[in-house]
Amino acid sequence: MNYIIRRRPSAGCRARTWFFISGLLVCALLFYSGRKLIKATSTDKSCMSCHVHPHADQSWKLSSHYNNASGTIVHCAQCHLPPEGEGYLVAKAKHGLKDLYGYLFKDTSEIEWEKKRLLEYAKKIVYEKSCIDCHENLFPVTLSVNGGNAHLFYTESKDPLNCINCHLTVGHFDKNAVLHEHDTNFGVTVTSNEPPFAEPAKVAEFKNFTEMIPGTRISFEMIAIPGGTYRMGSPDDEPLRDPDEGPVRTVTLSPLWIGRAEVSWDEYMTFFRETGSPPGTKVTQLPNLKDVDAISGPTPPWGAPDQGWGKGSRPAITMTWYAANVYCEWLSRITGKKYRLPTEAEWEYACRGGTKTPYFFEGDPKDYSSEGFLKRLIRPDTGIIASKVIYGLSSGSKTAEPSSLKENPFGLKNMAGNVAEFCSDFYAPDFYASDSTGADPRGPAKGQEHVIRGGSFRSDAKDVRSAARDYTRTKEWLVTDPQMPKSIWWYSDCIDVGFRVVCEADDSIVK
Amino acid sequence: MKNIDRRKFIGTAALAGIGIAGAGMAASGCKRKSENIKLKLPPILKGAPSGKKLRAGLIGAGARGTGAAINFISSGPDLEIVALSDLFQDKIDACRERFASFNLPIPAENCFAGFDGYKKLMALPDLDVVLLATPPQFRPDHFLEAVTRGKHVFMEKPVAVDPVGIRSIITSGRKAEAIGLNVVTGTQRRHQEDYIETFRQVAGGAIGRITSAKAWWNQDHVWFREREPGWNDMEYMIRNWNNFCWLCGDHILDTHVHNIDVINWFIGKYPERAIGYGGRHRRVTGDQYDFFSIDYDYGSGVSSHSMCRQIDSCANGTGELVMGTEGYTNCQNTIWDLDGNVKWKFEYPLDENGTRMNQTVIPPYVQEHMHLVWAIRTGNYVNEAEQTALSTLTAIMGRTAAYTGRAITWDEIFKSDMDLGPSKLQFGPVDMVFETPVSGTPVISNVKPLYKGQII
Repeated sequence: MNYIIRRRPSAGCRARTWFFISGLLVCALLFYSGRKLIKATSTDKSCMSCHVHPHADQSWKLSSHYNNASGTIVHCAQCHLPPEGEGYLVAKAKHGLKDLYGYLFKDTSEIEWEKKRLLEYAKKIVYEKSCIDCHENLFPVTLSVNGGNAHLFYTESKDPLNCINCHLTVGHFDKNAVLHEHDTNFGVTVTSNEPPFAEPAKVAEFKNFTEMIPGTRISFEMIAIPGGTYRMGSPDDEPLRDPDEGPVRTVTLSPLWIGRAEVSWDEYMTFFRETGSPPGTKVTQLPNLKDVDAISGPTPPWGAPDQGWGKGSRPAITMTWYAANVYCEWLSRITGKKYRLPTEAEWEYACRGGTKTPYFFEGDPKDYSSEGFLKRLIRPDTGIIASKVIYGLSSGSKTAEPSSLKENPFGLKNMAGNVAEFCSDFYAPDFYASDSTGADPRGPAKGQEHVIRGGSFRSDAKDVRSAARDYTRTKEWLVTDPQMPKSIWWYSDCIDVGFRVVCEADDSIVK
Repeated sequence: MKNIDRRKFIGTAALAGIGIAGAGMAASGCKRKSENIKLKLPPILKGAPSGKKLRAGLIGAGARGTGAAINFISSGPDLEIVALSDLFQDKIDACRERFASFNLPIPAENCFAGFDGYKKLMALPDLDVVLLATPPQFRPDHFLEAVTRGKHVFMEKPVAVDPVGIRSIITSGRKAEAIGLNVVTGTQRRHQEDYIETFRQVAGGAIGRITSAKAWWNQDHVWFREREPGWNDMEYMIRNWNNFCWLCGDHILDTHVHNIDVINWFIGKYPERAIGYGGRHRRVTGDQYDFFSIDYDYGSGVSSHSMCRQIDSCANGTGELVMGTEGYTNCQNTIWDLDGNVKWKFEYPLDENGTRMNQTVIPPYVQEHMHLVWAIRTGNYVNEAEQTALSTLTAIMGRTAAYTGRAITWDEIFKSDMDLGPSKLQFGPVDMVFETPVSGTPVISNVKPLYKGQII
């Protein structure tokens, strides 16, 4: 016989059982409602309830991710969150908290929506994994030759690339966007009824003059900068300085003329029209410009280099450092003068206009800068700086016409901000320490990238200081150029660098 | 155990034996199959499997094209050549006659001459396969059209003559992969059983780590055609295509690419850099070199010396040699240790007289078509476009190094915009300059003889 001993469960045990069962139920309920909640808060409607910028909705509906032949609609969360199981919930929590904060504490009318459509911000809110999750086949049979080259480059690149490097506007339509198409109509129309200048400016003495481009109505002002000595770089105690700005050294410069403003689209387009090469023109090796009889200028750009902001007196942008040099050579030939890019020392001398302070106007970089946690919450002081400089907080994320701004002590505009400017020197972070040339110094003899100066419409106040240094990033700036090899004339991925010219003064004029 | 039918017993035993042997074969076959997949080796077949009838069109009906078409139909059952295309009607006629002589007529309405003949051919309904065998200049366009039209492809090596063409082949190859079109190329050493078994040995460590390599293709001068009256520039050049770089890519591509491909295959990567030289002494037409000598740098101190020459009455031969830390191989059938003793030899089959053959029974030219048909009919996907494009690019890198005298990097040649063809393909005069490339810069000298005949 077997005896089965049945023990009555104790009260505590019963309670535990009930607790366990009810816990399971609560979990199931939470799980169920949680999933529902996650689903409900990822719908387009839910997104739109906070993202109260109607153009996002409108531009999405005009884009190829909504308005397409297949009838497929791609919803907000399908691009703006990673695929489920690949960091979906973490990203959702992160964006959710950010949105909640913005909803509670920010005034939507003050948010710069245009800025958020630029690539560098878009990269933070569009997930590469999500693109690839849907777009599994990068080589559909219908892909064009340029598309094939670009996708080949994408798959073979050792550096990570983003789909939206090229396909930035596929989710939100932008009428100015042109993808991978040579803009062969670029600069074709010329509108002027006035008689063109017959001759360039004649310069007999060292004074300001207005240069005239023969055969056109285009002119620009050149400011005579007297020679002198100044302290180049920033002292160790200058707020927000970088180490490459020192040590401070004494530099003497010869007199020269410098453009009152950055080279404008009007000026650059004249060069483009007169020297432009047909698309596909091959340059295997860069010629030494002094040796060539006829200058072959830029091929047509990809898309719209003016970013749809307009040309005219706005600074020309997106040309390469090489193209800027060819421009100077061309300008020298048609005017019979010696135009070139400024050296870094000349640039800083002109920018300072005799001042020794961080800016050519009063103020502390720390007050103007929005870097640092607190500054992001409290908008910094913009009063004085915004009247002198087109920079991150005053630009509306695009270039401005020089007429909108005040001059520096030498009478120059936009030395700081608007667009960063090419210098002729190679960049080396430790060059100030190693160079002992006191008069008209030039940069290192060899290098990879060139100096750019002055910061741009995207810069923080820190980077528009007179001594702040920066440099070209050739590879990054050509990431989305689908040509192999890439263009020597246009940067596909840099929209805030241009240049201004200097003109050397002959000994006969400057005694 | 009584009354056992002796014959029945033998039969049963034999069946059991076959069963056991079969199971063993299946097991070892399975292992071999997975190893083949791992090493990316093609199967060695006695013939293509039967299946749905495959109708093929040949583009480029010259000697190699006609040969490829015959190889295709002889690789298995129910394979037909149903259409032809060539620039020249006389080539089409000759090829049709050849097929008519086998009692395999090709309908005249399926034959298309001229530069756009390939498009008309590929537009034919019910065409499954195209064989691309024109001069390599035209291959990228033909391959793109074939993929766009959804055809399986056999294409001859080299697959292009310049980097623009190479990138086109790679992109089209990926498009083909995306929609499951099979692509086999004419680098037949990769389909040759002796090479494959030698590779299997080397991959298994038979020569240790590879330290250097050598590849050569030295032969007498190749054919050339003299210009006939009535031929315009374009017709002359294409009829004499083997002697113009924009059509042929020079012989470092045309023939030596086979050896270069074997070295890339055995080393398992592509060279990082090439330095080399070459020249022209004996040729009578065109703009190409007679010889090349290239050092391909594979990184980590591993180099391959590549040489090719087309001059009569010189030391000739073709082959490859790969050296390792524990031995070396001719890549084709033998492995030696470092003292020169044979470690392993591929065993060729016996012929009908019982003597050992010195080659495989099925020629590799047919084996590669068996592979294609097998892939199409069994669903075992194959696509050799990219691998052959990159070996062709290796040859282009070497050619450019010799032509220019410069060191050419893989990155530079991969991204190069070199595009050798004329802007427009049409019969008539061609506005191109054909100077044989000369590397470097001339020496400037004022040295003159002081008197006539002085040695300087």
